[in-house]
Amino acid sequence: MEPEYAIIGGGIVGLSVAHGLLALGKRVAVYDEGDNGIRASRGNFGLIWVQGNGLNLPAYSLWTRRSAAAWRDFADEIEQQCNTRLNLKQEGGFRYCLNEDELADVAEQYRGLAAQTGDDYPFEVLGHNALRHEEPNIGPNVAGATLHHEDGHVNPLALLRSLATLVRQQGGQIFNSITIDKITRSNSKYALFSGKHELARAQHVVLCSGIGNRTLGPSLGFKASVRPQRGQVLITEKTAPLMRRPSDVIRQVDEGGVQIGASAEEVGTDDRDSLAITAQLAAEAQQLFPALSNVNIVRGWGALRIMSPDGLPIYQHSKTHPGAFFVTCHSGITLAAAHAKFLPLWIVGHSDAPDLECFSEDRFETHPN
Amino acid sequence: MSKVEPAELVIIGAGPAGMAAAITSANYGNRVVLLDEQPSPGGQIYRNVTHSTHLRDKILGTDFQHGRALTSKLKQPQIDYRPNAKVWRVDDDGQICYSIEDKATRITGKQIIIATGALERPVPVPGWTLPGAMTAGAVQILLKSSGLLPTQAVLAGAGPLLYLLAAQMIRAGVPPLAIVETQQRRDYISAARYLPVAMGNWPLLGKGLRLLAEIRRAGTPRYTTANNIKITGSSDVQGIQFSSSGKHHEIECNCVLLHQGVVPNTQISRLLRLTHSWHPQQHCFVPNTVAHGKTDNPIFQIAGDGAGISGALAAEHQGKLCALNALQQLGAADQTIIETEQSVTLKQLNREHRARPFLDTLYAPPTEALAPASDTIICRCEEVTAGAIRQQIPKGCTGPNQTKAFSRCGMGPCQGRYCGLTVTEILARENALAHDEVGAYRIRAPIKPVTVSELASLHE
Repeated sequence: MEPEYAIIGGGIVGLSVAHGLLALGKRVAVYDEGDNGIRASRGNFGLIWVQGNGLNLPAYSLWTRRSAAAWRDFADEIEQQCNTRLNLKQEGGFRYCLNEDELADVAEQYRGLAAQTGDDYPFEVLGHNALRHEEPNIGPNVAGATLHHEDGHVNPLALLRSLATLVRQQGGQIFNSITIDKITRSNSKYALFSGKHELARAQHVVLCSGIGNRTLGPSLGFKASVRPQRGQVLITEKTAPLMRRPSDVIRQVDEGGVQIGASAEEVGTDDRDSLAITAQLAAEAQQLFPALSNVNIVRGWGALRIMSPDGLPIYQHSKTHPGAFFVTCHSGITLAAAHAKFLPLWIVGHSDAPDLECFSEDRFETHPN
Repeated sequence: MSKVEPAELVIIGAGPAGMAAAITSANYGNRVVLLDEQPSPGGQIYRNVTHSTHLRDKILGTDFQHGRALTSKLKQPQIDYRPNAKVWRVDDDGQICYSIEDKATRITGKQIIIATGALERPVPVPGWTLPGAMTAGAVQILLKSSGLLPTQAVLAGAGPLLYLLAAQMIRAGVPPLAIVETQQRRDYISAARYLPVAMGNWPLLGKGLRLLAEIRRAGTPRYTTANNIKITGSSDVQGIQFSSSGKHHEIECNCVLLHQGVVPNTQISRLLRLTHSWHPQQHCFVPNTVAHGKTDNPIFQIAGDGAGISGALAAEHQGKLCALNALQQLGAADQTIIETEQSVTLKQLNREHRARPFLDTLYAPPTEALAPASDTIICRCEEVTAGAIRQQIPKGCTGPNQTKAFSRCGMGPCQGRYCGLTVTEILARENALAHDEVGAYRIRAPIKPVTVSELASLHE
């Protein structure tokens, strides 16, 4: 049967939205690329992160916090339905600072954000000794950290796998190894093409294809202002528990390895890793946790974040193509709960839909390309 | 932080291909850096040949002793041989990162020859992860490096190495209890048409026949056309079960030595994102090369079994040809002299290649080793079974990078060196796709584990 909603992109974003639309009783089909597609969902860091988000746009801070608050129920539901473990932990997370001035600056920014969002921003500022009490293995050169109690992390690959299972369980169709390279509108339907072949028609189309949105978006009336930004990540062999909470640059994953990351480079679609950056990441990690020095790194990788000009998500209903939606963000894990529970209400035009006006691409003057 | 050392020619691997390449380059008066992971030169085939004893030489045979003809020529001023050098990163601009005794260093070659040879194909049959189940190659390493051999062993699988190891065990006075051979009647029939060409390398075939005669004289039982191999035991190996000629057999033993041939080690060529193609006769991926070693990247050449399995003697010729190519690129030798040597070497190489299709077809790995039963573990690092891979297919996995993300298969320290071909084979069969369409794991640095402090020491 013809889907009501065709979702382009079977990563975390596309599957979260598909899951939510299915829960609203819609017929959904997801179109996903093959083994060598550019996949942010296979390379990300696994954080559910709140602190520091939306310093320039408090509405974004509230959006990520709303998602973080919904994550526990979202995870429970997935774990029950799929009989799996996502290993969600939301016991707070650190942003480490190597000097006192940086720590004072960060604290000041957070206080400013708190003032703009109703003074409910549960964070603490820890000096070195207080931090050492929380993280006994922290290095002597770390001045301190901010601890935000709503931060956490999850196994991102378990999430990806579970969502793919769950969407199928809900009756959604997922088509793999398909690249949709053209979408046209005729008779108030969207026709999806791969090469010359028309694969399907649908009343609505939701673009969730990450960097692929850049190619598909303009033909549906979107500015499609996204670009890839490379992040590099290292992972060590499994090791004894070394840290209690995640941070934005280092975390110990549920399987025991330590994941090290947080670089950002503008290199187009080159997703290779480089010696310069991986060596820098290793040096920084060693400074934060000196006990890592003799731990083996077993893998590294580069992956591409999907960035808008201001780094914030874009949620846009096409002005020229009714029923076509543009969804993109670089925090697919943090926002997965919001994308499954709240965003679909906006897509179907429900009265309880969140107000996402500030994430419209109207905020970008011109097409960046 | 140390500076990057500049070099004209760098060779990775001191097996027959790497040694021959280094010697050729030195013969033309060209300085070369030869990096090798082992403490002494020789690769796997001539492992520890420089420290062998008279007795061990007799056990291992004259082919092994031939290695000294190469190692003895390494001691010359033009060859900067660096043992214990673990290469863990290679970039497409020619920069190589390696560590010696946990100290990381960088070197850049204008020309680089990758001579990292072959890996033993894993043989994931039921029970293969039990203590006491090893590969034939692993036991050869034991024999070459410390003169040790198991005493109650059964050899199982296919390939020339199986007979060579059996003969060596016989010479050492610890003959195997039995040889269980997996090549089927149809393999003999398919191989027969390559026999006339293979006769062109009569010395090689003659050697094989002499090994078989040696085994026959020793009275070692041989079970042919075997299948349904299962290694039994709860905490370690207690026996092997199999069918042979329609009958069920069980042999008590404390050691099973498995072998299904060798496959190219493509970690560096994959890391460099060079293109590869499926080799249907050898059942493995092979990097695409032209003119005997040239790859898609003009800096890199691949010599020896890493470019497709051809054996130790062919590897020597290939090493020589790659060195000549490199010298040509560097403008380091007279063109006409190079061309003469190229044509002579090429003739020798072609002779070595003649028996390959015959051997590849006769000793083709059986399905039960290529695409194992679902309860058999295929990824030892993460303990993932063949069934777990098959379970990912309905979730939309068409390639190994997706099954890796979904099942952790291939995420361990070996980076899929051992499970990679098995996963590709399973996906090709289940999805009815060509192996080239299924593809292979993307390989990322570090290709060998490196400590956080080693990597950090290269931070600028």
